[in-house]
Amino acid sequence: MKPLLGTLCLLGILIPEGLGYDGSLAQPRREVVEETGSPWQSLDTYSYTRYHPMEEIYQWMIQISEKYAGVATQHFLGMTYETRPMYYLKISQPSDNPKKIIWMDCGIHAREWIAPAFCQWFVKEDRLWRKSRSSHNNGTCFGTDLNRNFNVSWCSIGASKNCQDITFCGSGPVSEPETKAVSSFVESKKESIVCFLTMHSYGQLILTPYGYTKNKSSNHEELIQVGQKAANALKKKHGTNYRVGSSADILYATSGSSRDWARDIGIPFSYTFELRDNGTYGFILPAAQIQATCEETMEAVLSVLDDVYEKYWNSDSAGKVTPATVVLGLLVSLVSIF
Amino acid sequence: MPPAVSTPPAPRPGVPRPSALLLALALALCLAVPGLQAAGPGPGPGPGSPGVPGAPPPGLLRQAARAALHFLNFRAGSPSGLRVLAAVLRGRAAVDARRTCRVDLEFTAERYDPEVADGRLGRCSARVVFRHQKPRPAVNVTCTRFMETSRSRREDFLLYKRAKRLRAPLGATSIPNSHGWIDPSLRPIWDLAFLGSSYVLWERTTQTLHYYMAQLSSVNQWKTNEDAIDFDYMVLLHEFSTQEIIPCRIHLVWYPGKPLKVKYHCQELHTAQEGSGTEEGSAVAPTQPNNF
Repeated sequence: MKPLLGTLCLLGILIPEGLGYDGSLAQPRREVVEETGSPWQSLDTYSYTRYHPMEEIYQWMIQISEKYAGVATQHFLGMTYETRPMYYLKISQPSDNPKKIIWMDCGIHAREWIAPAFCQWFVKEDRLWRKSRSSHNNGTCFGTDLNRNFNVSWCSIGASKNCQDITFCGSGPVSEPETKAVSSFVESKKESIVCFLTMHSYGQLILTPYGYTKNKSSNHEELIQVGQKAANALKKKHGTNYRVGSSADILYATSGSSRDWARDIGIPFSYTFELRDNGTYGFILPAAQIQATCEETMEAVLSVLDDVYEKYWNSDSAGKVTPATVVLGLLVSLVSIF
Repeated sequence: MPPAVSTPPAPRPGVPRPSALLLALALALCLAVPGLQAAGPGPGPGPGSPGVPGAPPPGLLRQAARAALHFLNFRAGSPSGLRVLAAVLRGRAAVDARRTCRVDLEFTAERYDPEVADGRLGRCSARVVFRHQKPRPAVNVTCTRFMETSRSRREDFLLYKRAKRLRAPLGATSIPNSHGWIDPSLRPIWDLAFLGSSYVLWERTTQTLHYYMAQLSSVNQWKTNEDAIDFDYMVLLHEFSTQEIIPCRIHLVWYPGKPLKVKYHCQELHTAQEGSGTEEGSAVAPTQPNNF
């Protein structure tokens, strides 16, 4: 991996702990024990090819920031609805110069486990629950779709004002603490952020803005070109096919998504990745595929970063390299029983 | 079975003839859904490229391919021969005055089980007719074989024997578990669950709605003492365009080589409607898929 001149922001992970679909706390009753053993202790033995519960991810973050103290630092982002802390990892070389920022979040939707697995891979769980855990209608209804809650054409299309729906957009734009935390942070640094990546599953897609309209962003051609190059790089690794296009064109209409919001506040490169697979296992992607998925996704993300680097570092008119910052955040919203 | 008869392409929009305008409008309506948006043309080469007048959007072709394969899987009744869509090759769509949307297409398919899939693709051609936003698309489909008939019968029979010996975990279960793991000994349950779900998935696929089987959530009954496997279970279906999870109860009776019998009942989450259906034997569809 080429030495990071920048800072990478990784944000990700909503993992419900043992949440069954019906909302009860359900340890799978007849879980086949294929991975037992003592709880993980040290970074050396951390397995990146298994799914991890939230406590282990938190511990991992701490240990990463301790071990790589000069490069990786853990920061507080905000609190979830259930008053759990959210952290992000900032990865950058120390520097006196101001930096450009690349943001990546994984796991804004709780059931898309392969996404946070990728985030962890990139740095070194109700299971099918998608939304957050906020309470509405006097506690009779739970969860906002955080990726419909951002302040961009909020709730205009592809989202619902009904709390019972899975694409419930919240009580208002940026009504949720998780959305507020991400928005505030990204907004405060938007002059410096050149790239915003949000990792999801499934569908094997690289999506450009917009979902709320079929109109295209001003740099649409460039985004498609960079996206297609990333998909090609991804395919070279294990032959996996990804399709590239705007969300409204090749997926479905959505409003209030983080990707669209990021683009509209001026972040030029904004993508949603929908990782493996194509529906065979869907959200419940076998852990055995984590490695291959992460390897190929890595190629795609690096390809995007290469193009971003070309554009923003090589074209510096003063002739000096402007260092960049990569911010890796973990959007933590632990869910618990109804 | 004869290949699907090809139809003349829809006239280009903009041609100032009343019938052409009506057909162009109907073609657009073929895709429009209030409150939802059908996937439109995507970038890049391939069937349905934007800018080609009259070309159907690739989203519609994929919908048709999925409907065709679910129907094929159900009709074939072969849990070891399940297929999924690989890629759409080409296709065209036509709409009539009643907004019935007829899609003719060719596509490739691969084996459902990724562990067994060896990269070999079968080639399929199909005609799929969607009645305007109504379920149960009419399907006429042919696919080339993945393997010789005798071998597929043998694999089904082996699966049958394993199923007969299997003590299924009764009650609530998660297959696969949260980590995506299916115990190999339980694989016949998963394959049969998907086979039964194929009937449900076919019935429910429309121009805009398509489903995947997300998880087997309970085994209510697994009877193997008679000849046939009698399997009653709950699955969670994931509908892609709405992202909803829909629980369905399915009851199937299967014996290798015999037509599959299926009954089902799905909960709709907050509409009043519920969906259910029954299929017994081969009395219903006009044609048999010729894949064996």
